[in-house]
Amino acid sequence: MDNIQPTTDPVRPKAPLRSWFDVRGRSLSTLAFALNRLTAIGLTIYLFLHLAVLSLLLRGPEGWDQFVALAKNPAFLLLDVVLLFGVVYHMANGIRVALVGMGVAHTRQKSLFYVLVGIALVAFVVGAVLIFVE
Amino acid sequence: MTERDIEFKVFRYKQGGAAPAHQTFTVRCDENTTVLVALQDIRRDQDGTLILRHSCHHASCGTCGMRINGREELACVVKVFELGTPTVVVEPMRNMPVISDLVVDMEPFYDRFNAAGMPFIRESEYLEEAEVAEGLETYMRCENCIECNLCVSACPIMGTDPTYIGPAALAATWRVVEEPRGLDSRPLLDWVDSQNGCWRCHVAYECNEACPSGVLPGDKIMSLRRELTKRKFRRLFGR
Amino acid sequence: MQSSMSRRSLEEMATRRDRSGSLWLVQAFSGLLLVLILGAHMIAHHFIVEGGLRDYQQVLDYVANPFVFIIEIVFVITATAHALLGARAIVLDLRPSAATMRVVNWVLVAVGAVAIGYGLWLAVALQRAAGA
Repeated sequence: MDNIQPTTDPVRPKAPLRSWFDVRGRSLSTLAFALNRLTAIGLTIYLFLHLAVLSLLLRGPEGWDQFVALAKNPAFLLLDVVLLFGVVYHMANGIRVALVGMGVAHTRQKSLFYVLVGIALVAFVVGAVLIFVE
Repeated sequence: MTERDIEFKVFRYKQGGAAPAHQTFTVRCDENTTVLVALQDIRRDQDGTLILRHSCHHASCGTCGMRINGREELACVVKVFELGTPTVVVEPMRNMPVISDLVVDMEPFYDRFNAAGMPFIRESEYLEEAEVAEGLETYMRCENCIECNLCVSACPIMGTDPTYIGPAALAATWRVVEEPRGLDSRPLLDWVDSQNGCWRCHVAYECNEACPSGVLPGDKIMSLRRELTKRKFRRLFGR
Repeated sequence: MQSSMSRRSLEEMATRRDRSGSLWLVQAFSGLLLVLILGAHMIAHHFIVEGGLRDYQQVLDYVANPFVFIIEIVFVITATAHALLGARAIVLDLRPSAATMRVVNWVLVAVGAVAIGYGLWLAVALQRAAGA
């Protein structure tokens, strides 16, 4: 789109991080977008860490079972709770973004957010309790 | 009538001058004082160099768009007391170059908006019962968009990418696709089926929140995407 | 009714179409598929297993099931594609030059190929270990 006049403002340079994550005075949908982006970045990093950690399985029972013992440490479990929040939120909001983004139920996107993220929060609380209890 | 002194923290900048800064003015306001009237008072009584843009004073021209306490608003219909803050922060719209103080350069806006080629008027849906006056085929009304740029200012993606087509032009494009009125909408659909077009939107819906005129640009962007999704599936299955 | 505004050349506008819409749809559908697969993955690996994590022998027993093996492979491919398309969307928002974007595209394809290749190799190695 190089033929369109850019909206560049030399006085107020564009600031992507502020534009995505500064949600002061913004609507619920912007908060949803900011959280979606934040969880996306976290989950992408986690995916590759997870794949790397799985290589421990190739070292046989010693390598893997040692890691399993470490992963039951309370600090690790706390990270699991953070991860669980990221997963359930990204899933729920992702369903909304996918549907709305294809023009399905887009006029009811706020209700969709409340319902899906509400379900996600219940799943998160149940999951978080299970992580520590089990 | 209650009167109170209200502080206005106003963004000040002149092209070629010092770096932008906020200047504080105190204005005597009552229940009916709008932000636009307060700014005009400042210009008349305190600082004639304060530059702002306005016209109709009743939210139909879309000229006085600005950021008031961090929200995109038409200054002519925002009553100072209803904001409920002792200090009112007034800044120019974002995502367009500042020319002077509260005035932004609207050229990049019109460059996008005009590309859609949306006619200004449409058939009115409000007077279905009325008998059409002699000499008229039907009653017409203006399109909803008042070209105020508030949606563009509020959009987080306009805040990162200077070449995004943006909500106003995308909404205008949907109006042509929805009701072509003799215009060819296929090249327009191709235009917005691009990385700077409707796929760039990340569903933050700030445009809907900011729009003072019921255009709901976010909904229109999603309507474009539904149309394009259908087109892609039809092509995929050779239909 | 004629347009009262001047449009750009229609031919010129039509040339602006690119693959971004198709990539977005791939991301949306891979995301929807992931909701099912990742949901199943998390429940199977962490919530129905005593202690929340399978030990070595339990992992081998689990991947020995051909259905699970296929699901896990689909999971690696879908998750990698979804994650890297998301990363691309974020990079795009940072308005890189066309040349930078070309490099980014190739890097993402390479990272995706390595990740998926590694995931497949790992799954096959584990299944072999389970059969041994």
